[in-house]
Amino acid sequence: MSKIMVVDDAQFMRVRLTKLLTGHGYDVSEAENGEQAVKTYRAARPDAVLMDITMPEKDGLEALAEIRSFDPGARVIMLTALGQESMVIQAIKSGAKDYVVKPFDPDRVMIALQKVLG
Amino acid sequence: MNVQFLNPFVEAAFMVLESEAGVSAKRGQLALRRSAATADDITVLISMVGQVNGVALYGLSEDTGIALVSRILDQPFDEFDALAQSGIGELGNVITGQAGNRLAEAGFEAKISPPTMVLGKGTLISTLDFERLQIPLETELGTIQIHLALREA
Ligand SMILES: [Mg+2]
Repeated sequence: MSKIMVVDDAQFMRVRLTKLLTGHGYDVSEAENGEQAVKTYRAARPDAVLMDITMPEKDGLEALAEIRSFDPGARVIMLTALGQESMVIQAIKSGAKDYVVKPFDPDRVMIALQKVLG
Repeated sequence: MNVQFLNPFVEAAFMVLESEAGVSAKRGQLALRRSAATADDITVLISMVGQVNGVALYGLSEDTGIALVSRILDQPFDEFDALAQSGIGELGNVITGQAGNRLAEAGFEAKISPPTMVLGKGTLISTLDFERLQIPLETELGTIQIHLALREA
């Protein structure tokens, strides 16, 4: 069973994503900002991450870079309301495997996850 | 305040409300204001910093907030609790993010802040020396007031 970490500052989004993922049989851990995401990643070593960008403490792009620095194989999918080209390019350069723009589309999220999990 | 900043927000709000809550919206009468905004039951504040600077506010009644999150999560809420607050904050985040994407395409890149929420009607929210555009969006679940106090950098 694959372990997925959900990172979003909105409790509402974490609840929605966790519902979706546990419904598909995944094991889910949660973090509510970039700082916590890095810590939880180290401890839980999830198989894939769904990462928001706009968050307090540390944003999702910083957390992505930090996670990839100690685990170059980390599979991180960005899931954010920000879709500017500059953001997408920065995320892909920092090692994001996919980039999904909100509003939240459950099918799009599941396809992205199944693709990175192979 | 540059009026070309308005449409990206209106289009983003229409798209996000439709996609998240299956609600269609109609734009009401646009107004330009210099006085402070009066808070609704719920007001979401999100700042933008970059080639556009300032703040976007989203005001709505508690009934509208509860109706929206009930639709989005497909589960009834009877009070505007922490989860519901988080849902409305996130709605503001997604609308502002989508507006930001449209502004970036028009040549105005900006970062957005996490949402802040003012609860309780009647508080005055001053955007100081920023002029403010106010446009109501009418939906079957109630009105959402968008206030924009934005300026080109
Ligand atoms: Mg966020």
